[in-house]
Formats: sequence, structure tokens, C-alpha cells
Amino acid sequence: MNDPYSVLGVSSNATEDEVKKAYRELARKYHPDNYQDNPLSDLAQEKMKEINEAYNLILKTRENPGGGSYRGRAGPGSNAAGATPESARVRTAINSGDLRLAEELLAAFPSRNAEWNFLMGSVAYRKGWLDDAARYFQTAVNMDPHNAEYVQAMNLMQQGGQGYGPFGGSGPFGGSGRTMHGEGCDACDICSALLCMNFCCCR
Amino acid sequence: MFGYIRPLKGELKVREFERFKACYCGLCHALGKNYGLSARFILNFELVFLAMLIWDENDTPVIKRGRCIASPCRKKRFCTGNSALDTAAGYSVILSWWKIKDAIADEKFIKTIPHRAAAVLLCRAYKKAASDFPEFNSKVSAQLKSLAEYESSGGESFDSAADKFARILSSVLPEDMPESHRRPLAELLYHTGRWIYLVDAYDDYSDDVESGRYNALLRRFPPEDGKFPKSGVKSLESTLIHSNNLISAAFELMPQNPWTQTVENTIYLGMPDALERVLNGTWLHTKRSQIATDKE
Repeated sequence: MNDPYSVLGVSSNATEDEVKKAYRELARKYHPDNYQDNPLSDLAQEKMKEINEAYNLILKTRENPGGGSYRGRAGPGSNAAGATPESARVRTAINSGDLRLAEELLAAFPSRNAEWNFLMGSVAYRKGWLDDAARYFQTAVNMDPHNAEYVQAMNLMQQGGQGYGPFGGSGPFGGSGRTMHGEGCDACDICSALLCMNFCCCR
Repeated sequence: MFGYIRPLKGELKVREFERFKACYCGLCHALGKNYGLSARFILNFELVFLAMLIWDENDTPVIKRGRCIASPCRKKRFCTGNSALDTAAGYSVILSWWKIKDAIADEKFIKTIPHRAAAVLLCRAYKKAASDFPEFNSKVSAQLKSLAEYESSGGESFDSAADKFARILSSVLPEDMPESHRRPLAELLYHTGRWIYLVDAYDDYSDDVESGRYNALLRRFPPEDGKFPKSGVKSLESTLIHSNNLISAAFELMPQNPWTQTVENTIYLGMPDALERVLNGTWLHTKRSQIATDKE
């Protein structure tokens, strides 16, 4: 493993607060929420793992065993309760990145129901065809307005995705034009709150 | 070529801005050195961006001072001797060539005379660039051909049209680039291509409606009084912000290189600024076309 301090981008005599701050900033950047359904999510996970290991190692070597590692939740696309075997197979194909297989399975799908539209949207999203994805998600929600997974996917599209922003909100560049994060920074606030909670109560 | 992808100058540090200018001049010098004087007129911001992205992380930019045709009296600083600049220069020539060819095929003869003249001037440069980068050249011509086919088939999905354009750059990255660099860069370039294609389609929308030309957004957002429908702006904006967010997510996974801060500024500030100004109509069309003709 690389030098844990260089992983966090701080010097080896940084104070604990500086280490924490650097860790928090990086964790915000590579947070799984920013890479939901993203074809690069595996790379982001590796990065997150590296950061967590570095942070824990630093805390350990400083004899401060209160370290927190953030465990992201599994992205959407994992099996939802009550999914049919056809849909489970499509989900597996999408998760493994085999979009061609997913498309073939979807072409042979028994019905063009809400789930079909949601899965078509997921495939389009993986390809980067964002407008097509938004329209499929919208149709899925219209057909089944109570499915939380469909609603979440549609909301993500409507707010233009999740984004980390080095220039956003309270930073030195705050107020310079518009940030890219749609409506304020609620999701980020929640993440940092979660992170803080991790700091407080892990182990 | 388009000019949308550039850093937000006011938010760059002075030394970053000076270096960015040197990179811009460096690409112009590379065009002149490798492909002759006529090639210098196709210089554009998008390819400077590409040069910064494919720049090797271990190569410190070498900056020299010299005169050039655009600045014959005062010496200017320019980057030199980097393979990223040579590659970007070759790609510029090839892209411009096919863009000119495309315009010649699309328009009536009388309107294509300037393009035909440009093609004559660029012909030798193109031949050299095509032999330097044969794989890229065949990729561009194949993708543009499939784009033209899709355009004439009249499909509704603008994603499908943008896909043909977006793949041009994302699919030609060097084989020897490590996976951990190539994958994020390919994703970044894909969404940058998608973003440029759609922003440009929005910017040209009214002109295209008037002249009856193809526009990728026309079927999805039919015109109201010859203009882009107000009700569609929000959808288009969120899909473009989404691409921008995916660009930044990919960028954060790339190794750092000497241009990281400038690229970061371009992605997080320059592109949202350009989008905002294109959507609210303050992106100066006159200035833009002036920039475009200066460079082409």
C-alpha cells in the first residue's frame, strides 16, 4: 500500500483535524452516491477502500482506535424484493456490465410493464443515454407510482445526477455563478452528517 | 471548432492562466510545425482540452518564448515538444477535415464554396495527419457516416444521435494507456462529446428550423414559433448537467497531471457557465462565430 499520508494528500505531521478534514473531503468525492450505476463505480470503490485503509492506518499508528470507515450501501440494480426471474437475470446482466445481454433479455421480456421500462432505463443510463433513461424511468413511475426504486431513479434524472463539487457552496469560490448540483447540497449534507456519525460511534 | 469547452478565466490563478495560454499557443505551434501554416487556422479550445487530458502525468510542460504569425512583434510563451500536443494537433486536422466534408455534403453548392476552399487548403495537412493517425481517421469517418445515416433515418432519440458523435473521441485512446487511466478518460470524453453535440444542437436550433436542416433535438422538442420550446429547456438542462456530473465523477478517478487544476476549472466551472449562457441566450453568437472563423 502507498504511504497513507500521501493517499490522503496531507503531510505526515498533519494534525488529527487536518487528517480528518482531508479524509472527509475525499470520502465526499468518491462517495458511492456519486457513482450510482456509474460504469466506473468499481474504480471509485477501490479508491474509497484505499482512502479508508489509509485513514484507519493513520489513526491506528497514532494510537487512536476510534477510526471510522464509511461503508456505502449497494447501488440500485441489486435484486429488489418480489422481482421475477426474468427481471433478476436482466439485473445481473446490467450489474456485471453486460449490456448487450441485458438488451437481448429485455427484448424477450414477457411484458412491457413498469419493471421493463425501469430496466430499459437502467441500460440506457449505463450507456450514457441519459434522456432516453429519463423517459423510461418516467414511464415506469407513471405505471407504478408507488415503487420507491423507480421514483428514486426518476428523481436522480430530474435533478441532473449527483455531483461532488470542489468549488461549491461554502468554498472559496462560493457564489461564483451556479454550481452544478441542482438544488443546493442536501445529499452532500446528509453524507457529511453520516460521516460525522461514523466518526463518533464506530467501534 | 465549437469553443464551449474552456476554463472560466476569472477563477484561474494567474499562473494557471498563463500556462493555459502557453498550452493553447503550443497546440498552434504543433499544428504549424507538423501540418503547415494552413493547419494553424483550425486551432480550437476543445482540442486544447484533449491535449491537457492525455498529457502524461510525469511530463512537466516545457515552455519557450517565440514569435509567431498571430503575434509577429511580441514574443509569446508556448509549450513545446510534448506528444500530447502532437496527438491533439493530428486529431484537430482530421476532425476539421471531416467537418468540412460534412458541411460540403449537407449544403447547397453555392454555400459550400468557402468550405471547398478550406478543403483545398487543408488537403495536404489532412493527408499527413491521416497517415500519422490512421486508426483515428477511419474511426472518425465511420462514426460520422453512421451519424449521417441516423440523421437521415429520422429517429427520435437524440441520445442515439449524440452517441455516434460521442464515440469519436472516447473509442480511440491508446492501447498502452493503463486501464485505470483509460476507462475514466473514455467515460469523460464520451460525455464531453455528448455534451458538446447537444449544446451545439441547441445553439443552432433556430437556424436549423429556419433553413430546414437536420437538428438532433427537433423531434424530441418540436419548435414553437420556430424557436426551441420553453417547456423543453428544463429537460435538456438537467440531462446536460447530468452529463457534466458524470464527467466530473470520471475526472476524479484520473491520475493527476500538470493540468489537473485547469481541467478541474473547465469541468466544474467553465462548462456549467457555457451551458448557462447558451441556454439563456447570452452566449454571444456573433462572438462565437467570429472565434470559430478565426480558428477554422
